[in-house]
Amino acid sequence: MGRKIFRSPVMLIMPSILAIGFVIIIPLIFSFYTSFTSYKLTRPDSLFNFVGLRNYERLIDNAKFWYAFGRTILFLAVVLNLELLFGLGIALLINKITWGQRTLRTIMMFPMMFSPILVGFQWKYIFNDNIGLLNNFLYLFGYESAIPWLIDKYLAMGSIMVAEIWANTSIFAILLLAGLLGIPRDPIEAARVDGCNSWQVFKNITLPFLMPFVFIALTIRSLDVGRAYDIVHIMTGGGPAMRTELLWTMIARIGYKDANMGFANAMSYVSIILSIAFTYYFFTKLVAARRDLGQQ
Amino acid sequence: MKLFKSILTVISVFSLSFSAFAVDKSFPNDKVAMWGDFSGITLDVKLIGGAPYDPLYEVMIPIWEEKTGGKVSILSKKSHFELDKEIKQDIAAGNISYCVVSNHTSFATQYGDIYRDLNGIVPGDFLAEFVPLVLEHSTVDGRLVQLPQHSDVSNLWYIKSIYEDEDNKKRFKAEYGYDLAPPETLDQWKEQAIFWSDPPNFYGTQYVGKEEAITGRFYELVIAEGGALFDDEWRPTFNDEAGQRALQWFVDLYNAQAVPAGVLNYLWDETGLGFASGTVALNLDWGGWGAYFNSADSKIGGDVGLVRFPMGSGGKRGGWSGSHTYSILNGCPEENLEAAASLIWILTNHEAQMHEARGGKLPTMTRVWDDIAGEMNAEGNAFMSDLFSTFKASMAEDAFTPPLIPEWIPFSNIIFPELQAAIVGDKTVKEALDAAAKETDYLMQDAGYY
Repeated sequence: MGRKIFRSPVMLIMPSILAIGFVIIIPLIFSFYTSFTSYKLTRPDSLFNFVGLRNYERLIDNAKFWYAFGRTILFLAVVLNLELLFGLGIALLINKITWGQRTLRTIMMFPMMFSPILVGFQWKYIFNDNIGLLNNFLYLFGYESAIPWLIDKYLAMGSIMVAEIWANTSIFAILLLAGLLGIPRDPIEAARVDGCNSWQVFKNITLPFLMPFVFIALTIRSLDVGRAYDIVHIMTGGGPAMRTELLWTMIARIGYKDANMGFANAMSYVSIILSIAFTYYFFTKLVAARRDLGQQ
Repeated sequence: MKLFKSILTVISVFSLSFSAFAVDKSFPNDKVAMWGDFSGITLDVKLIGGAPYDPLYEVMIPIWEEKTGGKVSILSKKSHFELDKEIKQDIAAGNISYCVVSNHTSFATQYGDIYRDLNGIVPGDFLAEFVPLVLEHSTVDGRLVQLPQHSDVSNLWYIKSIYEDEDNKKRFKAEYGYDLAPPETLDQWKEQAIFWSDPPNFYGTQYVGKEEAITGRFYELVIAEGGALFDDEWRPTFNDEAGQRALQWFVDLYNAQAVPAGVLNYLWDETGLGFASGTVALNLDWGGWGAYFNSADSKIGGDVGLVRFPMGSGGKRGGWSGSHTYSILNGCPEENLEAAASLIWILTNHEAQMHEARGGKLPTMTRVWDDIAGEMNAEGNAFMSDLFSTFKASMAEDAFTPPLIPEWIPFSNIIFPELQAAIVGDKTVKEALDAAAKETDYLMQDAGYY
């Protein structure tokens, strides 16, 4: 048995196993363990104060957490769908262009080059009620009231969504453009010869070919958006009155500001359910889409 | 763009104004000198950063390095909220072997016993120079864990010209039945704020609306209204009538649109810049903005008045106060200890405090209060002279710290969303305070207070 372990194939993959162990497995096990303790960052000895399922029990009764959970699902659903629509639109438009496509592709990616913190600051001041660009622009047209973009129950979440969509739609656009460039021309030309109009070509040929790309993009972005933190933190900090509180702004505050890392880690593990659910759903859809195309 | 321009203006104003103040490198007015030969020693430090704080480092640290031969390596320079998070992570990671760190009287209690007791490290005759109450606030469990650099407490700034306008006086008297003058009470403050408001062009007043900032503001209004956050056993009491009156004050101003609509997203920079933009009549703020408010870079330069924090119905004024401080960590190697003490001496000594006070920051040394007032009088600077006499009275008569317990920040994180919920109308005042009290009760029970 011992000799088997030292055989060359095992030895060859050992560096990868060790790297994954140190970088991923051990931190995961450690943080999972702390979710069963009353670990506070400022009291290292509390790491050994095992409290069993207490953190998880408190979580179940914590209405604020479940509101944040629900808000995060809503945020994910709206942002992903709009990014998909806009990204698809941009990709289709750019795909039509025969001159300057490369320049446009580069320009399209500009928002992705900004740090999310910078994006947050930029939109925070655009939406500032008093000296923000948007309200001052509206005043030019005779609007006489300061719209509280980052305060109002609906507008605050909408404003954050706008920032998130602005920053990341190009991820969808670039992935879908790659899909469009890979679509074979023959079926499209055959359909046109058979008298299909543009909508029919798009619906029956282009879109089915694109669906695997759509679901890959959705999977990647759902993991990203599910962890949304920087932009929300800068624009509203999750407020006011928790109106824009998402899971990770709440977890970061409890973990770092309150230093209550045990409880924050319990929240994190419950939150992961969301990412797993979205990933599972999109992968199922991806497999189905590939099957429809006759791929494995 | 306007705001970015304003931010740049503030940064440049703070930087230029402070660097313009001369420092006498011989430190003639310092009774205690803590120079030494620290050649070969590099002190690792983490400091609070930003426009109001950097100018002192830029002046004092090079002098210290030149005179002692030591070096300062700044590992981190951040806002205090970010620094707070970093220190907590450092404690968790056991990475607390640097020497000097910025601290604050409201934050220090959270960090356990990571700091050295400065008694015995800093000479007693230097400590004797500080205001005793401020040193008391810097003490945790009987240990002096920090040396105060400057203090903060807030008073009410106002635009003078609108109060001097005869037409305004007549209109106000006709509407409210008493003479228009800067507010003496919280009720007058509210009435005048509503009187001045003409949204979205002009607002009566404003308040910092989130995080510990609004918790502190609520706290001082509770005290002014005759209430308290906790009873003697640390059970929450802020949901009583005094607490409700305090929160109602914020709600009324918001509902009357006497404050900017986005006020719940404002912190100190937003309120300071807003007042300097000339769009707010009354602004509660610390003295550190004073020189900027009255400068040519502010739209109300030369037109700024200042009165004490108005009184609440409990016959008290608000006076939420704290001090920015420096601490030495236990992990600082013994051989660097003298150098570390020397560094915090140069950042808190008479010369440093005079340098900061010229910009409006409040000194923590008894002697500096007199010396800065004398200097401003000699220069004929009536505005700064008035600033120091007003803030001196506040520090002496009104100032109080938040509860110096490790639970202050977690408590703040519980209560501030509830305060906001009442202000925006998601909950009634009573519902919001009761919800916060219930959660605070759990917090204090878990912490073992009862």
